[in-house]
Amino acid sequence: MIKIDALTVQFGGIKPLDALDAQFVAPICGLIGPNGAGKTTLVNVLSGFVAPITGTILLDDTLLLALSPRRRVGVGLRRTFQQELVVDELTAIENIQAVADHVSGDRASARREVALALDFVGLGERRNTLGRQLNLFERRMVEIAKTLIGRPRVILMDEPGAGLNEIETDRLRRLLIEIPSAFDCQLVLIDHDADLIASVCIETVVLDFGKRLAMGPTRAVLDDPVVRHAYLGRE
Amino acid sequence: MSEIGKTEAMPLVMPAGPGITPGIRAVAIVAVVGLVSAVVALTAGGYWLSNFTQAYCMALAVLGCALLYGQLGLVSLCQWALVGVGGWVSLRFYHYVHPPFFVTILAGGVGASVIGMIWGLPALRMRGLYLALVTLMLAGAFQSLVTVISFPVGGPGLLGQVGASGNDRIMMARPIFASSDTAYFLFVAAVTVLCIFLVEAHRRTKPGRAWALIRKNEQMAIAAGVRIVFYKAWAFALSGFLAGVAGALLAGLFGQLDASAFPTTNSIVIFIGTLLGGYDAWLGAFLGGILTRFIPALLIALNVNTNVGFMIFGAALLFALRDPLGLGGQLTILAERLYKKLRAQDVS
Ligand SMILES: Nc1ncnc2c1ncn2[C@@H]1O[C@H](COP(=O)(O)OP(=O)(O)O)[C@@H](O)[C@H]1O
Ligand SMILES: [Mg+2]
Repeated sequence: MIKIDALTVQFGGIKPLDALDAQFVAPICGLIGPNGAGKTTLVNVLSGFVAPITGTILLDDTLLLALSPRRRVGVGLRRTFQQELVVDELTAIENIQAVADHVSGDRASARREVALALDFVGLGERRNTLGRQLNLFERRMVEIAKTLIGRPRVILMDEPGAGLNEIETDRLRRLLIEIPSAFDCQLVLIDHDADLIASVCIETVVLDFGKRLAMGPTRAVLDDPVVRHAYLGRE
Repeated sequence: MSEIGKTEAMPLVMPAGPGITPGIRAVAIVAVVGLVSAVVALTAGGYWLSNFTQAYCMALAVLGCALLYGQLGLVSLCQWALVGVGGWVSLRFYHYVHPPFFVTILAGGVGASVIGMIWGLPALRMRGLYLALVTLMLAGAFQSLVTVISFPVGGPGLLGQVGASGNDRIMMARPIFASSDTAYFLFVAAVTVLCIFLVEAHRRTKPGRAWALIRKNEQMAIAAGVRIVFYKAWAFALSGFLAGVAGALLAGLFGQLDASAFPTTNSIVIFIGTLLGGYDAWLGAFLGGILTRFIPALLIALNVNTNVGFMIFGAALLFALRDPLGLGGQLTILAERLYKKLRAQDVS
């Protein structure tokens, strides 16, 4: 569970996050908002790459802001980036092994976890393919597999569906739903597109201009007139 | 960022060598270095033998430079100064302790590795052009230092100062089994093979994967649990170690070293050799390193002013910048294609 209190981030004159209170409790939570709402900034604060000026964050009962980015990985926080970052010169399995090198207990469990993650995302047969020869969907799958290594507690995924076609998005959706039970962890899914969120997330937080616009069960949140207005009003 | 980014290593377009196992690569390394060395040992003597021995030392320095540039995109322009550090440490250590030759080499390697790590500290903050300039200044400072204190004088003991007469100058002895020039050259060749193995073993395992993540994106690497400072320091240490080993081997070749052997320009030449050879294949470092010595040696043999060498390196650099694979990369691709064709014929 993630609990965020009075979180404010300031870049020069703007506040991408402004006194944000939010909780992520359900096994799969959504975080949506229009472009520029502050979603990626929140992920960066959670993973330790952006320091807030005020606020506290609890991961279960750990005070997250006191930990270095690498310590947060140590306590089970995982993330993907909005832009996929598969290394072209490494094979699919090496890209995942590169994470296992640092977060798995020992060699045997690393090997086991890498094999499991590869199979889980459906890349078992492509394991020895170089990063540069993987298509976008496969690269996104490598990125997801990397987060499944080393007993994750919470996985933050920043727009994992960006750029995927309908069939691929559908495969992604079925994969995401499986993750919390298969890996005994919580998933926070970030997207600006409500469709994926609506079909996967149990609870959802809506951000707009760094403030919380709504929070609660996904269906109710998406049907909220204020949220509909924020979206329809700008698109 | 993009302006600085231009001096970083370009992404490579080298196709993978599927089916090229570590075993095959090891055989190729031994075969290529062995063959070149055998030809040199059988045909060259005197001047050329000495120059090829030096060329192999250059190749070791280039190997370290290529490691930093190819794996982490870091431009280091103080590699030849680190060779000097290695030579210095090994000479002083030899005269003070009189250890076996292998220990002398290791001492030179470890000494330069420590200094290389310290000199690499700026890289924790900067990269690209800024890092290149800082390392270049370090090389310049080293040159001034060794000139002022007339390093590494061949006197006895830890400090090794010689009297004004120079009569008490003593030479570092080569190992007994490699006392002749040819035997010493073959010894240097064997050390070169071992060093290439050392680098390849790093590149294909945990540190190599960590470097790949760091080079792709540091935040992503941190999110993958990589200790950035540790792995960057490790790369500088390994690169410095290779330079230090080269310095110790040079000390063994000449018996002593002179401050004039460590001009700052040589560090730049080492980096050009890295680009010429190509920074992503061991063959590139080997060939690039040999060229950096072979060209000046040829000019001297032909009685041409050695400054012409800089013009040649400059011109070659224009080509190297257009082809990130370099000589070594191109030849590796050719060899891999040939190997696959031969295997396909074997199967059918
Ligand atoms: N490093 C930064 N420096 C300055 N402004 C930033 C930085 N990162 C993001 N911003 C600004 O913060 C706001 C929120 O951005 P972001 O969190 O990326 O939004 P989202 O992911 O919801 O699209 C935007 O106005 C963006 O321009
Ligand atoms: Mg974003």
